[in-house]
Amino acid sequence: MPGIMIVEDDNDLREMLKVSLTRRRFTVLEAENGKDAINHFKPEVTDLVITDLIMPEEDGLKVIMRLHELKPSLKIVAISGGGKAGPASYLNLAKALGADVVYSKPFSVNDLIKKIEELLEIEQGV
Amino acid sequence: MDHNNDISGQDDYTKFLSREKYFSDHIVNNSRSMISIINRDYVYEKVNVPFCKAQKGMEESIIGKSLGDIWGQDTFQNRIKPNIDKCFDGATVRYEASFNIPQAGRRFFEVVFRPFPVESGEITHLLAETFDITDLKLSEKFASEKEEEFRRFETNLPIGFLRCTPDGMMMHANKAFLIIMDCEDENLIYSTNLRSYYAEEGLLDMHLEQLMDHKPKSFGRIPLKTCKGNEIVCRISAFMTFDESQNPSYIDFSFEDSSRELMLENRLLQAQKLETIGALAGGIAHDFNNILATISGYSELLQNDLPKSSAFAGNVAKIQIAVSKARSLTNQILTFSRQVEQEKVLVNVYEVLKETIGFVRSAAPSNIRIRSTIRVKDAPVFADPTQLFRVFLNLMTNALQSMEELEGTISVTLATVKGKKIQKELNKDIVADEFVLVTVRDMGKGMDPSLLRRIFEPFFTTREVGKGSGLGLSVVHGIVSEMGGEILVSSKVNEGSVFYIYLPFFRGYAPLTLIPEKNRKILFVTGNKHESRILSLALESAGYEMTLSYDPGHLNKMISDKKNSPDLIIYMSDAELVRAEDIICIYTDQKINTPCILISDSNLTSEEEKLVNSGIVSQQLTKPVSLREIISAIQVSIN
Repeated sequence: MPGIMIVEDDNDLREMLKVSLTRRRFTVLEAENGKDAINHFKPEVTDLVITDLIMPEEDGLKVIMRLHELKPSLKIVAISGGGKAGPASYLNLAKALGADVVYSKPFSVNDLIKKIEELLEIEQGV
Repeated sequence: MDHNNDISGQDDYTKFLSREKYFSDHIVNNSRSMISIINRDYVYEKVNVPFCKAQKGMEESIIGKSLGDIWGQDTFQNRIKPNIDKCFDGATVRYEASFNIPQAGRRFFEVVFRPFPVESGEITHLLAETFDITDLKLSEKFASEKEEEFRRFETNLPIGFLRCTPDGMMMHANKAFLIIMDCEDENLIYSTNLRSYYAEEGLLDMHLEQLMDHKPKSFGRIPLKTCKGNEIVCRISAFMTFDESQNPSYIDFSFEDSSRELMLENRLLQAQKLETIGALAGGIAHDFNNILATISGYSELLQNDLPKSSAFAGNVAKIQIAVSKARSLTNQILTFSRQVEQEKVLVNVYEVLKETIGFVRSAAPSNIRIRSTIRVKDAPVFADPTQLFRVFLNLMTNALQSMEELEGTISVTLATVKGKKIQKELNKDIVADEFVLVTVRDMGKGMDPSLLRRIFEPFFTTREVGKGSGLGLSVVHGIVSEMGGEILVSSKVNEGSVFYIYLPFFRGYAPLTLIPEKNRKILFVTGNKHESRILSLALESAGYEMTLSYDPGHLNKMISDKKNSPDLIIYMSDAELVRAEDIICIYTDQKINTPCILISDSNLTSEEEKLVNSGIVSQQLTKPVSLREIISAIQVSIN
């Protein structure tokens, strides 16, 4: 199954995403912040990255730019939840920088998974 | 010539004449005036020494010359001759004049012409005496200029000056004092004591005592009462003057109105407070959205595991509803704290205001009239129309609520004002050239100052606990501030309140926005209510091609037209003629998979729920939706 990296500084939310995705049999990798994500990125086993946009230690925009460089075919999902600079503009920027889809928190995890499966061209069906 | 030597040996009369001539010549030549004798031909027959000195000439060179030669023909004809002629008619003529004197330039003179008759009484000559009064004139002028200067200083400065007796009885007050104290009758003030203007009893006496040490004193901001009983604050300074025996004779005071300064300080403090609360609330909202995402995620997982018929599924659905309510709350907080950037388009405030008034009119009870005064129909601003609608709706709804059981009118006005005129009012260094001003005035309960100070704070509410979140006005404040506008309010208990919303008049410069999906065709299924008209207006301004549809027939036609098929369908729950079921039917019958956005109230009807579960709806939004939200949803749906 495809590999997905979750970059999110909120432990509970990261855990929830991990549970949801492993249920759908994805291989899940985790990173607590942008720096970790960039340093421990494994292009050969990662097909998609879910990244928060506002995090300590390198924010999501940097993650999107850097990972896109490292693996141009990588699919990217950006999520954000109202930060200091305005989540909406961040999401738009994320999209401009190469995120395939953007969500603002709180989002529907079912929608998110549906979208991920679409992006990875996986046969759908609950 | 020396007369003394000639006196002896002459006869008495000659002696006498010579003595007289000596005296008169002495007097005449030592006079400070210029003295001359002029004959009927306007020719000088005799001039004294000062005259010669002033003209820088010898006696011989002046005698025999005409006045025209000496003073110039123009001056002579226009200014001298008429007076001389009067004198030859028998009158003594006095006048003041200025002449250019070769030695000293322009000087002022008092000129006296006296008839100088011969024994027969015939006036053959006249005696001209000219006094130099330049120094007098100059000092007079200087004094009057100084006086005028001081008068101007005293009347034009916005500082009240007054003098009172050591007991506080008013002796003199300037115009500014009268204005500050709201006194219409100047005379009235002189029968009053300064004490009567002090709001605090005994304070003036304390000040008077402090002044006894012969030093000028500043007393800072002192609360006062005006003639009309209004409370103001003035910065007061004073100085006491003493007589020779060291008893106080009078006291001079200056009064500087600092009510405005105080008001601006308070407003700044309020703004800082709101800023702090905003930053705090925004931070909490951010963290809260993370928590909500977790709750919502797990409840969705739970829902996925439960059969739809399960009793637990209903409970989980309720968790979801609670999450969506919480989400709307955090969104409001983020809007207040200006951490949600608005999607802005060029919009005419008039259009939005018109719709809002229409909406409020339809909801207002019969005892309340809504009157609108539209001074301009062209009021372009750069804003999110849906947010603007929210601002106006919120203020008008508050106005309605403040008047609950009262009869009355809510007045709404739209006008434009020049930035310069309101710069002071807004307390900003840089203001727009022009502002669009919307005012909402009610005749309701009004608010006292302590309440007024807090109304824009989030969670501050005068309503009972549980009725209203108290976020309304804080959100309004956030939206208006984010637009570069300003909201002000004035209120009087039992008279009502007025809200002033200043929005920068749009001058054609638009910041870059990131709306990549322009020119897409959107089919908007709606009941054509005020709110959806605003949304449609907003989307059109943002660059989308909008088609409105109100009934299933039209909708069917639009969708079956394959050439012009829409890129997206927005279904608004206010569509009365098109039910959610109709949408499902059309999608199934026409076999289309056009993305669909549902905009509904927070509680879905069972039909709407069916629509959501059918998989047709790609994005579901809850009212009120901002342009930013809907554009994000459109972008996600179309991709």
